[in-house]
Amino acid sequence: MKSFLRYIGFALLLLVGIAVLLDVVYTDIYSLAKDRWKMEYVLHTPAQQYDVVILGSSRANNHFVPELFEKQGLKTFNFGMSGSHLFEDALLLELLIEQKNSINYVLLEADLNLSNEKRDEGTTARYLPYLRSNSTIRSHYQNEPEFPYWYYLPFYRYMAFESQIGFLELMKTVAHEPSSSLSNKGYYPLPSHKKGNMKNDYRALKLRPNRYYQQIKKLCAQHHIRLITVTTPVCENVKGMAYFEKVTQLYPEIHNCEDFVNQDRYFSSCGHLNDAGARLFTQKIISKFFPKK
Amino acid sequence: MFFNSLAFALFLPPVFALYWWLCAKSVAKQNALLLLTSYVFYACWDWRFLFLLLFSTFLDYFTGLQIHQSERVAKKRFWFWLSIGVNLGFLGLFKYYDFFAVSFAELFQGFGLSVSPFLLKWLLPVGISFYTFHGLSYVIDIYKGRILAEKNPVDYALFVSYFPLLVAGPIERATHLLPQIKQTRKFSFSQAQEGVYLIVWGLVKKIVIADTCATYANAIFDHADSVNTLSLALGAVYFAFQIYGDFSGYSDMAIGISKLFGLELLRNFNYPYFSRDIAEFWRRWHISLSSWFRDYVYIPLGGSQGGKWMQLRNVFAIFILSGFWHGANYTYLFWGFLNALYFLPLLWQQKNRANLESSKLPWNLSGLRIVLNILATFALTCIAWVFFRAKSMTVAWDYLYRLATNGNWNSEFLANRRYNFELLSLIVLFVAVEWRHRNQMQPISGKYAWLKLGLCFAALLALGTYSDYKSFIYFQF
Repeated sequence: MKSFLRYIGFALLLLVGIAVLLDVVYTDIYSLAKDRWKMEYVLHTPAQQYDVVILGSSRANNHFVPELFEKQGLKTFNFGMSGSHLFEDALLLELLIEQKNSINYVLLEADLNLSNEKRDEGTTARYLPYLRSNSTIRSHYQNEPEFPYWYYLPFYRYMAFESQIGFLELMKTVAHEPSSSLSNKGYYPLPSHKKGNMKNDYRALKLRPNRYYQQIKKLCAQHHIRLITVTTPVCENVKGMAYFEKVTQLYPEIHNCEDFVNQDRYFSSCGHLNDAGARLFTQKIISKFFPKK
Repeated sequence: MFFNSLAFALFLPPVFALYWWLCAKSVAKQNALLLLTSYVFYACWDWRFLFLLLFSTFLDYFTGLQIHQSERVAKKRFWFWLSIGVNLGFLGLFKYYDFFAVSFAELFQGFGLSVSPFLLKWLLPVGISFYTFHGLSYVIDIYKGRILAEKNPVDYALFVSYFPLLVAGPIERATHLLPQIKQTRKFSFSQAQEGVYLIVWGLVKKIVIADTCATYANAIFDHADSVNTLSLALGAVYFAFQIYGDFSGYSDMAIGISKLFGLELLRNFNYPYFSRDIAEFWRRWHISLSSWFRDYVYIPLGGSQGGKWMQLRNVFAIFILSGFWHGANYTYLFWGFLNALYFLPLLWQQKNRANLESSKLPWNLSGLRIVLNILATFALTCIAWVFFRAKSMTVAWDYLYRLATNGNWNSEFLANRRYNFELLSLIVLFVAVEWRHRNQMQPISGKYAWLKLGLCFAALLALGTYSDYKSFIYFQF
């Protein structure tokens, strides 16, 4: 029995050793990456001078076309991330500032995401490799219940989020395989779908003061960045459209731009404009907030 | 409490410690501890069904004793049929009643009669098919005079409820497990080490192979009406490896866990995808169920005795029953029927026992023939798996029709945002490892065992699927 216990002890040591080794290898590889995801781009590229930085969820990522801003002479990057919540947007802005990027305007999409203060799993996964090396990321996630596991258990974060930062993603990172997330200056155009879902129900969304929106406002004020917060369009067949009015009642500084585009032919799905819709919407945003001098 | 869960990882070590330290000197204490542990393990699934398990155990224990003690044949027969009737009655009620009620209603509707059947919609008690078959084999063996009835209720209850095999087998025989339960167990380092290897290899099969294949197979089966021929063909292959990794991985873990307690369970899989014909496949796949049907259905029906038509009837009977054992759905019935059809030419030509020896691969034409036979058998199996996996017969036929007619062989980007070649490379590696070690239970033991164990750990950590947890497929049966 003693020899078996010794054997099990060695096996467990081997398991922990491999976990530590894999953790080091994965973390090192991700810490050098800059071709695949937006936060990597922020962390690993030299400081830039931005006129406009776009933040938000997929409804920012798919709706604002930086190319049209640049035609106006505004250096712009769309940092909107599909699936992200204001929780991660606030962190990304903090990192942008920390990396000494100069930003004149933050154009923030804040509408449906105002009703959510939780983290988004997919976006969170991209930040986790930097948990030990970046104190801003660490302190942002410190209050999450799983934080001790992510931080102290070797390789646990890569197992828990294997579909985002697991072996396949590691291989793509090693191969410098570019992802679509950094193309078109961060804008991801959507095609039209004949069978796109053209209805939605927002009646269940519970709007309440969002602390990460407050954090974004505070960061902008502290660093003299002008913040423009907008809502973006949804298709016509929506139940609970009153939500957008409640947003402007709760936060009067938010511009309700939901009705800037309203024909279904401009939509890929009910909550997302297609490329033509995004271009029309961006033009209207530019005309309203960045008119030619 | 799944074998691959953290809860089980916390559950097993204290049981192991108590078993070998506190109870080591008394087999009665060891059995009592294992029985108590087994009931806790089962109650973790759903404590309400524990009463059903207790009743089933009591029924078979009591009827077994009555059969053994009765001197009159009529009395023996009464207790025997009482046990068989109640066991199958429970199984029928929980597993098959709704299926038959709906099927009869549909039949009546075909004649223009509208019937709204009364449905139970009961939850299927986990492991019911397995522990019912344990009990049935025990009672049949006593009735046939092959074994004596067990007098110790704890020992008998442990035989039925032993936690490594309780929820998904292997389906044990009283002749094999009960004598071990009654013997004093002494700790054996080599047996426990073999157990650890089996547990680790079972985890690799489940977490690295089965769960990864499942995400690809689901992406293809759920979008079968829009993917091309290549993806549909690969979807069937992925499901073949999913179900193999899932079930044989579970069986390996069950056998390995049992070895830690000094009890040997029946082998359930013997590299079935290296079979050269379908008869060999069925000697290597879910061996404990196939042999159960062979011993308790096929042979009593006459087996291979009698004329060709009798043999044919017997073969179809066990394959269709085997399909139906898996679940109340026409897809399982057809899966069994299809396997019987595959078996037919071998039976007709008396070649069903042609490949009894383990396959060797010489570097000549006969080696090539063996490879082609293995591939052909695997292809037939994959076609049958489409019926097993599909939700209905219509879905299965549509799948196969599109597979045959689409004609597009380009590699596709799948709905799980993955390419086929990523998984194919993993499967090829897995097959190579299994082929290299096809003459042993698992590939870890032997030379460089520590290195191989380390590679398995690395595979588990780096290549396992953790974000999309999947239950063991056979828990639903």
